[in-house]
Amino acid sequence: MADNNKAVVDIDRSVYDIKDVENEQDFYRMEDGFTEDIVRKISEEKHDPEWMREFRLKSLELYNKLEMPDWGPDTDDLDMNLISSYVRSKSDMKGKWEDVPEDIKNTFERLGIPEAERESLAGVGAQYDSELVYHNVKDEVAEQGVVYTDMESALTGEYADMVHEYFMKLVPPTDHKYAALHGAVWSGGSFVYVPKGVKVDIPLQSYFRLNAAGAGQFEHTLIIVDEGADLHFIEGCSAPKYNVANLHAGCVELFVKKNARLRYSTIENWSKNMYNLNTKRALVEEGARMEWVSGSFGSHTSYLYPMTILKGDHSTMEYTGITFAGKGQNLDTGAKVVHQGKYTSSLISTKSISKSGGIGTYRSSVIINKEAKHAKTSVSCDSLMLDSISRADTIPGMDIRTDDADVGHEAKIGRISDEAVFYLMSRGLSETDARAMIVSGFANPVSKELPLEYAVEMNNLIKLEMSGG
Amino acid sequence: MDINMKVNHLPALTYRFLKSNDSEIEIKDIKIKDTFSPEMQNGQDGVSVNKEASEEDVRKLFDAVNAKAESKKTDVPGPNGDTAPLNDAQSVRTGMGAQIDNLMQEMKVPVTVITADEGCKVSEPVMIRFDLKDGDCVLGNQVIHAKKDSEITVIMEYDSEPETNGFLGIQTRLLAEEGAKINLIKVQMLGEKIAHFDDIGGVCDDKADIETINMQLGAGNTWGGCRVALLGDKSVFNNHTGYLCRHKQSYDMNYVADQMGKKTESNMVFRGVLLDEAVKTFRGTLDFKPGSAGSVGDEQEDTLLLSSDAVNRTIPVILCGEEDVDGRHGASIGQLGDDTLFYMESRGIDEEAAKKLMIRARMESIARMIPDEAIIIRIQQFIRTIL
Repeated sequence: MADNNKAVVDIDRSVYDIKDVENEQDFYRMEDGFTEDIVRKISEEKHDPEWMREFRLKSLELYNKLEMPDWGPDTDDLDMNLISSYVRSKSDMKGKWEDVPEDIKNTFERLGIPEAERESLAGVGAQYDSELVYHNVKDEVAEQGVVYTDMESALTGEYADMVHEYFMKLVPPTDHKYAALHGAVWSGGSFVYVPKGVKVDIPLQSYFRLNAAGAGQFEHTLIIVDEGADLHFIEGCSAPKYNVANLHAGCVELFVKKNARLRYSTIENWSKNMYNLNTKRALVEEGARMEWVSGSFGSHTSYLYPMTILKGDHSTMEYTGITFAGKGQNLDTGAKVVHQGKYTSSLISTKSISKSGGIGTYRSSVIINKEAKHAKTSVSCDSLMLDSISRADTIPGMDIRTDDADVGHEAKIGRISDEAVFYLMSRGLSETDARAMIVSGFANPVSKELPLEYAVEMNNLIKLEMSGG
Repeated sequence: MDINMKVNHLPALTYRFLKSNDSEIEIKDIKIKDTFSPEMQNGQDGVSVNKEASEEDVRKLFDAVNAKAESKKTDVPGPNGDTAPLNDAQSVRTGMGAQIDNLMQEMKVPVTVITADEGCKVSEPVMIRFDLKDGDCVLGNQVIHAKKDSEITVIMEYDSEPETNGFLGIQTRLLAEEGAKINLIKVQMLGEKIAHFDDIGGVCDDKADIETINMQLGAGNTWGGCRVALLGDKSVFNNHTGYLCRHKQSYDMNYVADQMGKKTESNMVFRGVLLDEAVKTFRGTLDFKPGSAGSVGDEQEDTLLLSSDAVNRTIPVILCGEEDVDGRHGASIGQLGDDTLFYMESRGIDEEAAKKLMIRARMESIARMIPDEAIIIRIQQFIRTIL
């Protein structure tokens, strides 16, 4: 019976599982744990300005005070005393792939990042453990005034004031325990600024690779899309699997100015020993549009709910997401939206697949404030159960404080219908292929929102999961 | 005494900022001076009543179904933020939870057990009417036990004068044995100075059926909970709730269908109207337990918002640990559609009259399901008066 869920596929997961040996000669690793001493050392290592050092220390204080939420997946097996907050290659960040250290470059080449940059991206950032090892933006995009750089350079360079103005204003360290931790030990990530009226035709991409066992990655992504501008940003992440827990507590802050548009796509394929406690938030101003496309496949445990604040009148958001929870995974994902402006609208559409004992939870909140007259929201969440040892839970919340709103919500949960499998088998497919095809079709609303090469990767990941890989 | 307790726990916790994981009943210096021992208005053949049962008697009554529930437990983990352990001590899990049991036991409220004899289809509804007098603070506790292949309808009506002060807390537990059917109808038309809770918990064995109709039209602060375990194969739970909240009224509810047997069916409908500064919190959960293969569940919520000062909180949850199920929920929340208003106005009905018409239509769509014309007329009169 177990074989019913398997598809014959030619996917090789080993590309994600390659482990590079990090020796002391080439890599610097901070001692494990999260103490004031460690935070001061990180700040020193990174040559932080004074305000950032203070910010880190205050965040650490908050981290020590705040409690873990009681509503999400269990994190008891995540021993924070065994996590190193900072690991970096002793080589500096490079602007050319050929200058990146050979072993790191090989890893990114196997993941296809340089090739993707050549063929379909306007710029690439590649983070290895705690620091960016490569960052580059195409000349024609830079000439438009688009800034795409690593956070450290932005913090001390030409854009220092802008970073100071926006850094962790949308996700303050008080938000929750792991936002506070992020504020204390953040490292790496990207800063993007798209000037007024500039439309970036092809996407920018940041790829995050966490190679070190028992390490944390705390990258910070800050994107400002100025008035009337347009950007598609893609985020990818992976890590090899270890027998010890790894932690990802990144933070993404997105500012979408008047009449601008930002699409933020993520294919998350962390290894299955990863605790992914990530926070993403967008502030959307008048007439602007925020689009999220999110695929969650990896991680042992996830808390991930991108939040959109529709601040300006006529601002809109769309969230399209898929989560595939397989053996040993507890993926708690969804979206949050707050309607503040008038005539705002939101559309949330999610798919969740649970298999082989995996736990998939869709969790969301829609808040429509009293001032948000003529707000419209539509939420749709579908869950697919592939066996009876898994879980698929749907926990949406709505808080509506104006009568002048239009709220629609629907959710469905079910299984692959025998009739559909029978139909496909009668057309010559094996049962296993038929089931894999149905699951791919279920995920189609998400994959069609991705650029072709990422849709292919997502479908490959689905096939990989269906094969029990 | 002071009442201070947390009730209506969401079966799986969610974000704290939604303030919907539970609800707090906080009433200071209340003097519970009486317990509500229902006078049945029409005695029926095949129905027996014991007004002095103890909680121990209730526990024994539910022993067999609780043992059956225990035997169905599997290794599939519960949902993230599972609150089930909070209510493990209950004889029967109820919507509002163990704190209500504790209050009843602390106040030594006797339990009235109404039993329908095996195979007996009780033809007329058992009517239980209660008028709350000014200053009354009372608790009531009943069990309705439908033995194998029996059927019983119980209508409970709570009334008071509009200016009456007081407190009324009711717990009703239901046991539908194999092939039995319980119809429970509650109509609440209390004055706005009364605080009220109404807690229901039920268990259905094989092919049993529990149907509830709940009209919540009055009281100041109301807490309501209803949790039905569809323990037996092919058991059924249907619920229809209608509510009308205005002024500063609040209505906090928690409905749960625990689908445990094979091929069980649940269908929950909630239809309400919020006016003025009313606050409503709705929690509705379909919980497909492992082993509930072939089960279906549906919950639908339809809320009409007629004030920009009203607050509507909705959490429709589906929990699922079984592959072969079909569960769905839908919610529609908003004001009167422009098309509806235009249609009404084109027929000479102004906006205010159109709103009243829609309120009455919504409430009557549930009230009409009550098998007692006199109560339907009283509901109509009550709505007409308050509007």
